[in-house]
Amino acid sequence: MGNFIYKRSLQSLLSLALLIILVFFLARLTGSPADLYLPLDATEEMRDQFNQRFGFDDPVYVQFGRFVVGLLQFDLGESIQYSKPAVQVVLQAFPTTLMLAAITMPIVIAVAIVTGSLAAFRPGGMFDRIASLISLIGASTPNFWIAIVGVIVFAVWLRVLPTSGTGTPWHWVLPIAVLCLRPTGVLVQVVRSSMITALSSAYVKTARAKGVRSRAIVFVHALRNALLPVITVASDQAAGIVNGAVIVETVFGFPGIGKLMIDSVLLRDFAVIQAAVLVTALAVFIINIVVDITYALVDPRIRHS
Amino acid sequence: MNAFRKTALGLSTALLLSPMPAAMAQSGDAVTIVLPGGPDRLDPCETPRSVIGRIIKQNVVETLVELDYAKQTTVPRLAESWEQTSPTEWRFNLRKGVKFHDGTPFDAASVVYSLERTLDPKLTCITRTKYFGGVDITAKAVDDNTVVFTTKTPMPILPTLLAQLAIASAKTPKGEYTADPIGTGPYDFVSWTQGENVKIKRFDGYWGEAPKIAEATYVWRTESSVAAAMVETGEADLAFSIAPQDATNPDTDKVYPNSDSAMFRLSADIAPLNDIRVRKAFNLAIDRKAFLGSVISDKAELATQQVGPSVLGHNAKLVPWPYDPEQAKALLAEAKAAGVPVDTEIRMIGRPGMFANSNEFVEAAAEMLRAVGFKIKLDNLEMTQWLEAANKPFAANREANALLTMHDNNSGDAQFTAFFKYHSDGRQSELHDAKVDKLITEAGMASGDERAKLYQETFRYIYEDLVADAPLFHMVNYMRVGKRLDFTPTIANAVELQLAKLVVKSPS
Repeated sequence: MGNFIYKRSLQSLLSLALLIILVFFLARLTGSPADLYLPLDATEEMRDQFNQRFGFDDPVYVQFGRFVVGLLQFDLGESIQYSKPAVQVVLQAFPTTLMLAAITMPIVIAVAIVTGSLAAFRPGGMFDRIASLISLIGASTPNFWIAIVGVIVFAVWLRVLPTSGTGTPWHWVLPIAVLCLRPTGVLVQVVRSSMITALSSAYVKTARAKGVRSRAIVFVHALRNALLPVITVASDQAAGIVNGAVIVETVFGFPGIGKLMIDSVLLRDFAVIQAAVLVTALAVFIINIVVDITYALVDPRIRHS
Repeated sequence: MNAFRKTALGLSTALLLSPMPAAMAQSGDAVTIVLPGGPDRLDPCETPRSVIGRIIKQNVVETLVELDYAKQTTVPRLAESWEQTSPTEWRFNLRKGVKFHDGTPFDAASVVYSLERTLDPKLTCITRTKYFGGVDITAKAVDDNTVVFTTKTPMPILPTLLAQLAIASAKTPKGEYTADPIGTGPYDFVSWTQGENVKIKRFDGYWGEAPKIAEATYVWRTESSVAAAMVETGEADLAFSIAPQDATNPDTDKVYPNSDSAMFRLSADIAPLNDIRVRKAFNLAIDRKAFLGSVISDKAELATQQVGPSVLGHNAKLVPWPYDPEQAKALLAEAKAAGVPVDTEIRMIGRPGMFANSNEFVEAAAEMLRAVGFKIKLDNLEMTQWLEAANKPFAANREANALLTMHDNNSGDAQFTAFFKYHSDGRQSELHDAKVDKLITEAGMASGDERAKLYQETFRYIYEDLVADAPLFHMVNYMRVGKRLDFTPTIANAVELQLAKLVVKSPS
């Protein structure tokens, strides 16, 4: 097990390093920040001053060297836009994103497993048809539209929830609900098909023949075997949220990392782009490790191979 | 499953224990204001940027001089009076008994400090780069309440320029930005939570009349429909700019000019646009009125020049181009007969998000031009690429082009437009016309009526004689003002919102 985690970590670190190098050089191909931060009629002198201040006057490989040295000291440079350390800007936004993911994913997984399993129990039955239809709608409706409709219905018409912002737990209800919709839709479908396969296997037939209760068959025997693809897809969805729930953040004015990243790309705030990519990549890397361990726990074949 | 149950229980308990959203509605003398975007820094030297100015300008930090947009003039604020003692020297008498929020007195030394801090090349303060760029200016404290400004060349509009310089306490660090603005204004800065809000509250030691509003919270929502909904539900009192399609309630949604003007800049050196008949045809082919009420707000005004009516130097006598496709066709035919290559493709350059529906606008405009015989290639560029096309030095082999621009002049003086857009040395100028250069230089040295007259003549000459470009619209914004407040927005609100001018109708 230890060896397994060690190998996986090494692989992930390698891809992390590659990712950072790519982001560093690709970002710099997109043009000079001086054009965006200085007024249109700025003089050449002002542009030189600006480039000097942020080190953009050096050749790119010198900038990269400085970046690597800084990275080893946990210094990711200064945000042009916020005039403070990029790490600080990113770490201020990241907890909100993590919190969104941490609340959303358990709800998604619980709802999807219960609904998907029940639907798989009698494929083609009434519950299965309704569940499939709703999950399909959930998986395919655009987030931003649902978000705005949610605001209009629950905040403006019914006046039971706040429109947006943070402050009280009530503020989290609409964003979380919107955020849950698509992953739940997708995951219900995955649980359902995976369960149908598991329920038609020989050991389930044996269990039935032995007179084991249906509930026990579904939730104890079949579910455990059907869980692997569910974990894979769920981790993918979780990584998606950790990378920033841009639409939810934008519509509801949530100070998360997705919007921060997009704004930084548009404003060529290189240090923040790099820091944000690094932090989210690390988080995804941790999710992957956790998923790998979960695989090993659920499936003895992985554990012992 | 147990852990999950615990979490669920915890969450629902937290929900039930927290106050219902109805309690979040605004009450009393506190207001919440919704901005379209959040600030990145709250430095006094960045107040000309609307995202910062709308929060702190004249609320937290004040200026020596204030602009009166309606009268195109300057009025005293922290300075009581001023006089020009020589072409390059101005003497300002400061208000006495004024204190900064940190308790230090406002005096001549703090004015000198603020100017020096703002002009420090270590910072890219917009007050310096946009307004004081190229102005060689020094300030000297004569005594506690008198400052003398000296410029290298005559600066007849120094008071207008000083309306942009926010005065900050000498405790504001030099050479680095601050996130804690300390000024003399009626409101004291309280807090800024990144990504969430900025709070300010009434300053009891204010030199002027105490404002009615005790505290203000600024939040930001990019999504216009959510900003509008916040005011409708009473979560906020005022939303700065909501999209035309969300401005559905005439009782609360008020229109105001935002000092932006849109135009097509024409590459007047490159065939076929180097022919005045072709440029006239370009202007005649665009049905500007058809856009009002469709993709552009019906409250926008047709433009004849790059500055709006509230700017000194605006020429009110110019008449907007009519829509006359027949005459446009005739002019093109005439040019063609004279050997002008009118079939040459013209690159129309737009930028998504320049203004609401700007993509739809360029597409429709391109169709109108094609209808009279122009060959148009449409290019929508991202900001940095657009800037490369817009700014000098221009690419050596560029094609004939019509560049959509949106210019913002809220400084009150045409100088900040004329040089930049039309002088041979202007960074975005397509012109190199000796008469234009002379007019702009002379206007820059003149003051008062003479100055206005010279700029008016500049704009007339460019519009009527040169037909240098295709002016389009003076744009507007929609502000949603909650029922609790009594307030009518003006052009000043493009860059500031003085809380002292807000009136709460029925304090509960």
